[in-house]
Amino acid sequence: MLTGSRTTFKVRQMVPDVKDRMLSHSGHHTRGRDMFGLCCLPGECVLQRAVLVRKKLSAKEGGGWLSGTLFCTHFRVAFVPQDSPKPDDNADPVLLGDHDVALASIEKVVAVGPSRTKLVTPNSSLKFTPEELVLYCRDLRVLCFLFDRLTPDTQAVEITYTIAKTYQPLKAGTILSFQNAALGSIEMKQFLSNRRRDPDMNWFENTSDWEQELERVGATGWRVTSVNDRFEMSTSLSRFNVVPQKVLDTELKKTFAHFNEGRIPRWCWRHPRGSDLLRMASFQNNIYHEKDDIRNLELVLFGVQQVCVVVDLGEEMPSTADIQLAHTRLRALCLGDISASVSVPDDKWLSTLEGTHWQDYIRCCLRKAAEVACLLRGGHLTVVLQEPEDRDMNCVVSSLVQVMCDPHCRTVAGFQALVQKEWIMAGHRFLSRINYHRDSDKEEAPVFLLFLDCVWQLWAQFPSRFQLSGDYLLALHDSLHVPLFSSFLANCQRERSRRSQHLAQSYTPVNGLRELPQGSPQDPCDPPLPPVWDWALQYSSQRRAHFTQPVTQPACPPPLLNGNLNTNLDPHRHVDGMAGSVFLLSRGSFSSPSNLLPWRSGAGSGSGYRKSHRRAPSAEMLPGLERLLRACSLSEAGPEPHEPLLPLLLGPCVKVWRDCYLRGALHAQAFTHPMPSSMLHPVEQLAWEVQQLREKLAQASTTSSSSSCSSSSSSPSSSRTSDTLHIRRESRRSDSNLNQNANNGTFLFPSSRSASHQPPGPRGGGGGVHPATPPKAASRPPAVTNASPQPRPAGRDGPKHTFLFGHQPDNRPAQRYIPAPHTKPSRSRSSSSSGGSSGISGSSLQ
Amino acid sequence: MLSLGSGGAKQTPKASFVSYVTPEEINPEKEPPKKERYPDLLPGEVVFCSASPILKYTQDELSQRGVFGTLVCTNFRVSFISDEVQAEDTIQHFKNKLYGENDIPLMCVDHIYGGYDDKKKLITCTLLKNKCPSKIIIHCKDLRVFQYCLTFTDEKDARKIFQGIVHHCLESKSLKCVFAFSYNANNAEMQRKGRTVMFDSIDDWAQEMKRTKGACRLVVENQSSELFQRLPQYFFVPTNVTEEDIQNAKKFNGKGLPIWCWSHHSGCALFKTAALPLMQEDPIPQAYMEKMLNAVAQNYLYSVKTEDLSDTLPSLQEVQLSYTKFKQFFLIDNSTEFWMSDVKWFSSLESAGWLDIIRQCLQKAVEVVECLEKENTNVLIMEEEGSDLCCVISSLVQLMLDPYYRTLTGFQSLVQKEWVAGGHNFQDRCNHLHLKDKEHMQTPVFLLFLECVWQLLQQHSPAFQFSETYLTVLSDSIHVPVFSTFLFNSVQQRVSMMTAKSPQTQRGPLNCPTVWDWSVQFDCRAQEFFINPLYTDKLRVDKLTKKSHRPKHTRQLSLPSSAFKTPPKKGFFKEETDSLKKMLRVKRLSRWMLSPDASPQASTAREFYEAWLRRPLDYHGVLLPLLDGPAVRVWMQRYLRWIPEVQICGGGNVALTNRLAELQGEVRELLRRLERQCGGGIDGGGPHHANAAAAHHHHLYDNVGPLPHLRRSSVRLSSSFPFASIRNWPFKPAIPTSMLQGLFVSDPDNMADREDEYTETISLV
Repeated sequence: MLTGSRTTFKVRQMVPDVKDRMLSHSGHHTRGRDMFGLCCLPGECVLQRAVLVRKKLSAKEGGGWLSGTLFCTHFRVAFVPQDSPKPDDNADPVLLGDHDVALASIEKVVAVGPSRTKLVTPNSSLKFTPEELVLYCRDLRVLCFLFDRLTPDTQAVEITYTIAKTYQPLKAGTILSFQNAALGSIEMKQFLSNRRRDPDMNWFENTSDWEQELERVGATGWRVTSVNDRFEMSTSLSRFNVVPQKVLDTELKKTFAHFNEGRIPRWCWRHPRGSDLLRMASFQNNIYHEKDDIRNLELVLFGVQQVCVVVDLGEEMPSTADIQLAHTRLRALCLGDISASVSVPDDKWLSTLEGTHWQDYIRCCLRKAAEVACLLRGGHLTVVLQEPEDRDMNCVVSSLVQVMCDPHCRTVAGFQALVQKEWIMAGHRFLSRINYHRDSDKEEAPVFLLFLDCVWQLWAQFPSRFQLSGDYLLALHDSLHVPLFSSFLANCQRERSRRSQHLAQSYTPVNGLRELPQGSPQDPCDPPLPPVWDWALQYSSQRRAHFTQPVTQPACPPPLLNGNLNTNLDPHRHVDGMAGSVFLLSRGSFSSPSNLLPWRSGAGSGSGYRKSHRRAPSAEMLPGLERLLRACSLSEAGPEPHEPLLPLLLGPCVKVWRDCYLRGALHAQAFTHPMPSSMLHPVEQLAWEVQQLREKLAQASTTSSSSSCSSSSSSPSSSRTSDTLHIRRESRRSDSNLNQNANNGTFLFPSSRSASHQPPGPRGGGGGVHPATPPKAASRPPAVTNASPQPRPAGRDGPKHTFLFGHQPDNRPAQRYIPAPHTKPSRSRSSSSSGGSSGISGSSLQ
Repeated sequence: MLSLGSGGAKQTPKASFVSYVTPEEINPEKEPPKKERYPDLLPGEVVFCSASPILKYTQDELSQRGVFGTLVCTNFRVSFISDEVQAEDTIQHFKNKLYGENDIPLMCVDHIYGGYDDKKKLITCTLLKNKCPSKIIIHCKDLRVFQYCLTFTDEKDARKIFQGIVHHCLESKSLKCVFAFSYNANNAEMQRKGRTVMFDSIDDWAQEMKRTKGACRLVVENQSSELFQRLPQYFFVPTNVTEEDIQNAKKFNGKGLPIWCWSHHSGCALFKTAALPLMQEDPIPQAYMEKMLNAVAQNYLYSVKTEDLSDTLPSLQEVQLSYTKFKQFFLIDNSTEFWMSDVKWFSSLESAGWLDIIRQCLQKAVEVVECLEKENTNVLIMEEEGSDLCCVISSLVQLMLDPYYRTLTGFQSLVQKEWVAGGHNFQDRCNHLHLKDKEHMQTPVFLLFLECVWQLLQQHSPAFQFSETYLTVLSDSIHVPVFSTFLFNSVQQRVSMMTAKSPQTQRGPLNCPTVWDWSVQFDCRAQEFFINPLYTDKLRVDKLTKKSHRPKHTRQLSLPSSAFKTPPKKGFFKEETDSLKKMLRVKRLSRWMLSPDASPQASTAREFYEAWLRRPLDYHGVLLPLLDGPAVRVWMQRYLRWIPEVQICGGGNVALTNRLAELQGEVRELLRRLERQCGGGIDGGGPHHANAAAAHHHHLYDNVGPLPHLRRSSVRLSSSFPFASIRNWPFKPAIPTSMLQGLFVSDPDNMADREDEYTETISLV
């Protein structure tokens, strides 16, 4: 309780009048810490501060309480631990520290007094001094701060007020002020505009990006069209779309009118067996089909194949309202809210969970995606996902299919490209669905969160088939709730590009924060808002290191020739099938209703297409879905990379994403193991051990025993001086860890030997990890050094498609944890790991 | 379903059959070797009857695929010997040496159903008048389900085998008929699995007392169980219980006598007792009880809390009822049934109440831990028999407090101490003998305990040396009538059975192994699955942190010393005795707690629990379970392992285990190379260290030794790996198709109903 008393006096002397609002503009000492340890962002100002606050740590952070100082700026609620190390002044600012929360993601502020709790709203007044402050966040986190007895009462009251008044935009549109606060200063803008984009992921922003994707999956017969370059054809579609080569742009222009919102069938992905995945909106029925149009329509729809299966997602999938309701219920269940005093008794938890239907919807999406995946696997089909608007469930299903089928989409870069392609560019209405502005309550629906949960289910069932980790999914989940990223702040590409051109982003002094006039003079040269993929902006390198799993799938995918696997494996080919047959997949069975394609059912006689088209195609031609699924489930023998991951969807197999939904619930904070993703932990440890051993071996073979270095003595002190939390977590990890690790430390690095066996010069910091506490940073190679802002190149170092197509030697993936003994720290993944760890110990020594 | 009679036999095989030979083909060919197709009999095993060809259905939906073979009933098991030759790559890595995957030990049979036409009828009486069913469905206690089709067999044979099975499985029998008495393996002189303390000698008990640094008096008078039938041979009582008291206790049949379970390092101890019914009128038992309580109190600091478990925990009948409901969800005749249950999976699980009973037991154990750990008071738990829920709670408390019991041998010793030597009525609770008059006593108490342990294990896996697989195997072994461990009601019964020579039965003294001799069931490689690779050894941690190695029980510095604490307590006790006396008139003993009303008690436990949560988790210190809704889970490995639909093919834990094994193999390989390199003599100390390291690692990674070669074998692994191989993977889509109908077609009414409930909750939130 009184551990911080010495500091108290200090603080009190330094701040004689605590009643004053501390408007310490950090502009005077930007990029440094203010005197109380908060490392302000450029242009950020502190509105209120409270000293001697303790933060309750979640189980993942190690549990217990951490004392420090609580700040409220006009961008975030920040907590600085008492004895946190001085941050590196040269390091890039991270928008949110490990203990911080953006104001915009706070949902509720609850003050806990001696005898009661009160929900604090901007207008309410406190009649008691809060002892505890609980912040409920939209991303299902719960932050709990405890005021010490020595915290001045006024500070406790004031900071509660300040947070309550600042956290929520009061009226529609005030979200802008938040963005201004976050990114408003000149310096911040400069900083942002200087940021490099991750060159390793595909952004799908220009023609070459799409072409690259076509090349990656080996799709032939398709081309990128820029007919929608000025959003004239469809406002919600992206600039560039992939259509069959046979259709000319002039012909293509006429097809837009036949589809809802002009969302024509567009190519998404090609299965290695030669099936194409397309997506489209529903048909416009009240339109006259001209002869010429019909040919183009057919061409656009069928692509390069003869058989087309339309998968209708309109009816069977949950509606957005359903999803929203389910999510609301799930939140209510998982977020034990002390102010509401309604809690589900433990023995009713499961049935309440069932009653939310959230998991039913997950199963529904996964099931549909699995069906489509199996269908695609059949080969030589065009599968078209159809949804009335083509902006919600189509996104979910098409991206799930790709996650299931394409190993590339299970890497971080591939997954980001996938989201970029199927959500951001495809025009998922992020802005309305997330409802940042609180002005589209009816449209609000966490469709993207549903998708993330689906991916998590896949990840939980097939952890070894993913390169990305649960932490990555969680980070993406959380950043959806911070209204800062261009990725999520628009409903379509058109809006996004308009916004980035002229957005009110002028710096305003804090006094005028809430009086900011809407539509203030706009600065045209503002940099666009950052994309969400700029992870270095949000997360420290330690946290980013957890985004990938230490070891990826060892079995490297066999090279694909032109993207087409030998489809002879499958007896049900339809090469010579009737040209232009179209089927509807609905409720698990195929049919071919006559009105499926409106232009066919309409003026049938005398139309331009061949006669055979009018013959009702029989569903017999397609192998039954059951058989397709069976073939899939049977052939899933080995870890063949192109075989779809078919998740099990039975009740016992669909799990709760505990790390996400249950981390906030106060009663469940100690829920998980204190180490993140405990299941994987041994793997990390072993990977680390392998790395160490290889280093050892390299040393032994080079017999450079003469060069001894002192890092063995310096590294323990370095780890001691690094972040307290870090150490805390680390020590927790190390004693809760595997004995392998412990032994590794004890046996592989006895101090007597380490002196004579240190690696030469440059890798000293990395190699000289002290036996007792192998720092976390060393145990997994940190993602990047401080200098490079983008996440680590995901598990590969060549050009993008090597992951899938490259002829990799067998031990290729293992290289991630094998530092090449004598390479210089360059772009190579392996050396960046040792370089990174040396960077860390080096920086903490300063 | 297959039609009855000859019509069925003439059916042409369906294309989906795995191995299908028409009966016409079988009958002439297989007739001569029929009698030879017996399983490898265990020593002492005798075949009662057999029949062939029998079609064993694979668990599947309506398609009646199956395998032909011979059904044999012996005095140990019901065995099915497939005509099919086992494929090369389907060698099981986790083979039970006693019974194969198609064998059912007789004791393991839970229910037998007869399939008549399309109806399923539970067979209860063993005298079967009605005609022989076309199908036998056997539900096992380890949750396997077997379906045998009798229509292809000779009418007479079918009747014989059916009656044989029913008779030998369901008929009440005497203990002497249990297979353990016939089993005479020649490894009779088995060395006792050295390290498991059996608690059948004074030494074992004294050792245990010494280990826990307790101070209680050993009672040896019951050595031949003359004094008290229900009490162990040797037991400890508080030092203040006099000789006279023990003689006194005879009147009450040993009830009320506080039996020592475990001593906390502070000095306070846990006692259990069978509750003595206290009548208002009768002063004698009251005086006796008071004396006993005083004796317990004087064990340490003059404080005692009593906990009447029958008041606060569900009754044994409730436990049994709930388990019966619960297991029904996992005994699946065909997959369709399982899919139907899928839509309501969670709520149906919950309605059985089994998970809640587990939660309550864990909760109770936490409360007791709080008394011992935080308040340092002696605790006396009691219930009617003193050997059911008392055992559950006391074992759980010891598991939570004492890291020794979280090791494999420690755990086995604990079971031996509390359950086997402690006199749990295994025979009656499991109703091994199918006695009609004991049916009401059947309750899976020991399974309940294992369930609680599993919950702890899955929440804090690095704290336990044994694995989930170990617990699952242990729960299966209860029903293997080879081991003496779970066969008897009391030590006394065991001793008399083991030593008595009864010439009329022509059977020598019982000489069967204990369950702890795992080599009887599994070979060394399979036994390696019992070890949790995540376990962190205390010694290693200590070595790492340069702490001196401390004995398991040392006073923690953070605790207040007893010298400081004693005086106020003593003063307190004076008042307490008065109130004790006062309250002795009240029947309910649980109200004798130091804080008389229940709510502060609950709140202090809550406080303690939260304080524990706040502290960093020490896997070698106090370990408490998490109890909230999502934390208590279904023991998937035990309950769902035989249901192919929930086995994730190539995913789940197996994938990770494989990865671990690969990495470990790599580490080993690297170590070897390093050793070789260093052996070249780079520096003087090098080879030595490397050798030590290598040796150590070998020792470590041998834990998971059998795994590395798995990845090379062509066996397809699923998430229920050691138990069910994927071989019987049905030709079914991996995706339930019925789900959606349930969701969107049949549910709207329900959804509307629920909507109302929900709007309430949500509006409140």
